[in-house]
Amino acid sequence: MAARSWRDHLPQGSRGPHRLILVREQDAQHSGSGCCGRLGEAHTDLGGAADYRHSRVLMQDIGAVYREVRARLPELAVEVVDPRNTVWLYPAVWQDARAAGRSARECFASLRRAGAALAVILDGEVLFSGRMPQTADVLAIIEQRLAE
Amino acid sequence: MPAFYLIVITLGAFYLGYRFYSKYLAERVYALDPNFKTPANELADGVDFVPTNKHILLGHHFTAVAGAAPIVGPAIAVYWGWLPAIAWVILGTVFGAGVHDFGAIVTSARNRGQNIGTLSGKVISARASTLFLLIIFFLLTLVNAVFGVVMAILFEAHPGSVIPAVIVIPIAMCIGQWVYRMRGAVLIPSIIGLVLLYAAIPIGQMYPIHIDGLADMLGLSVRTTWVILIFAYTWVASRLPVWLLLQPRDYINGQQLLVALVVIFTGVIVGWDTITAPAVNDVAEGTKHWFPYLFITIACGAISGFHSLVASGTTSKQIANETDARYIGYGGAMGEGSLALAAILACTAGLGSAADWNTAYASFGAASGGALDHFVTGVGHFLSNLGIDAALGASFAVVVVVTFAGTTMDTGVRLQRYILQEIAELAGFKSLVGKTSLLTTLAVLIPLALALAPGGESAGGKGFAFGQLWTLFGTTNQLTAGLALSVIAVWVLARNRNPLAAIVPLTFLLFMTSWALILNLLDFLAQGSWMLLIMDAGIFVLTAWLIVEAVTALNRQRRTA
Repeated sequence: MAARSWRDHLPQGSRGPHRLILVREQDAQHSGSGCCGRLGEAHTDLGGAADYRHSRVLMQDIGAVYREVRARLPELAVEVVDPRNTVWLYPAVWQDARAAGRSARECFASLRRAGAALAVILDGEVLFSGRMPQTADVLAIIEQRLAE
Repeated sequence: MPAFYLIVITLGAFYLGYRFYSKYLAERVYALDPNFKTPANELADGVDFVPTNKHILLGHHFTAVAGAAPIVGPAIAVYWGWLPAIAWVILGTVFGAGVHDFGAIVTSARNRGQNIGTLSGKVISARASTLFLLIIFFLLTLVNAVFGVVMAILFEAHPGSVIPAVIVIPIAMCIGQWVYRMRGAVLIPSIIGLVLLYAAIPIGQMYPIHIDGLADMLGLSVRTTWVILIFAYTWVASRLPVWLLLQPRDYINGQQLLVALVVIFTGVIVGWDTITAPAVNDVAEGTKHWFPYLFITIACGAISGFHSLVASGTTSKQIANETDARYIGYGGAMGEGSLALAAILACTAGLGSAADWNTAYASFGAASGGALDHFVTGVGHFLSNLGIDAALGASFAVVVVVTFAGTTMDTGVRLQRYILQEIAELAGFKSLVGKTSLLTTLAVLIPLALALAPGGESAGGKGFAFGQLWTLFGTTNQLTAGLALSVIAVWVLARNRNPLAAIVPLTFLLFMTSWALILNLLDFLAQGSWMLLIMDAGIFVLTAWLIVEAVTALNRQRRTA
């Protein structure tokens, strides 16, 4: 039986050879919030609007990239993930990088840069980490990489 | 009995629950539709509404719902023996938390991702939103009180853990600066942070921090002095921007949670430890009986109302397919149940011989006051099975619990500040609005007073009513769950489906909560514990209010149907 990968779980129609991972922090508390508190005003009505304003800005930046990618590259698999979700993020980046034929050294370099408050990762290659240019420039680079 | 068998039984029961009961819920109760356009697809904006892979979403959901509470509750509840505790964790997870967490996601997703507070106002009645706010107020007050005491007890019992527990703060702040100011990636800094943190554990053992001198100077007990210091820290921490301490600590907590779960289960299997606690403990007459107290002592780990805030907050906005709700909601509940199982194992198989266990759990006061101490001792023992010194292992466990408890208190005081401001606005005290320092001081002083309140079976005979506070906290958590289950039941009924899957745990929880509150009320009255009495009476009024709202809403819906 053939080995199953994440691509086998994608909905029909969006299955493709490439995957884009958009990393950004959700504007809400993670650890320990489910048993006794949940800070994050936009989603629970608990908390102050200013608490996670900085994360909100990053979410909106990534949101703009997400919408453009969905509109212009509908065949590209896109995942949006919180960098605090280390259990999923790092294995996925490693798997994508290996599937794209990158060396172990390049894979480790990708892992090192992947977990930022904001990152754009295409097929295991970290295109932007921490900061990114305008949405149009991000799209241009993604399209250029896909065309290579 | 080998502790490993308990792992097999519990995880086996969870598997069966997932395989059969969650399937029944998915098909017959919530009637999941793979073709339903979820809010993530309908409103996809890449910001709040993002169709997300179910494995990613389970990671987000589980790290958000896991905390220190599923450790504390079971660590106390094994006082009645391991059998009632594990039975409630299994039954609560399979028939309570699974229904609740899964249902909260589906109900919210079917209402364009609205959160449970808003939904209770919409589905039950406009008054229910106010009820929700009041329940949260009581819950947060109790959360801050109990976690302040939890940390104080641990610092007093394990002075060697103070340095590593405190060093988390500058480490988190450095990570915060690196990630949010310098925009750096977090992997290498968080690994360095963890290494520094674990390196601080033996240093802490070499230089234990005793505050007897300070306590003597203040004329207070060591534990009281720790409680005051912890609340002073919380006052400062809750005034800091979240990116500086609260948010980066999420990274550390996430790693710690995984490490702790792995070492506990591996330690149990490698050491092949035997459960030395009795299956059912024959407690002395006049002591709290497991029926009904067990069901409010273990809230998180069996069923926790706060999960509905996560489920209806972010998770419901991101599920790509409605059928994913089963995997994420029910799966997350099982993850929380596994954490409770780990706590039960540590406190029943990690404390040594049966005689040692009987000494540790000699009374409900000893069980509640020493619960976390028992847990860290047990984890230390499991780590010794892996070749790590037991004292170092115990310090590791203290650090895990304290970082979670510290995060919870930081959050709790912030939330309490916002709620106090909202209540002040509603009550017409406009002058309080925007007075952050004053509101923070109030948010700290209220739980501090409660934490220091004497009464009941004191923790280790040192004048605290920790066990009483914990059971009160459990009642408020169960009330939050009750509110969410009411919303789910009314929504299921509105779709002409059988709502019994939600009504049975709802009725059970409200019955047990009411009963325990009445017993507590009589106890507090007899003891003259007026502060606890007022708190208990307030929660009882909220319970009665919730029962009226739930019955009215269900009857209204039944007539409509």
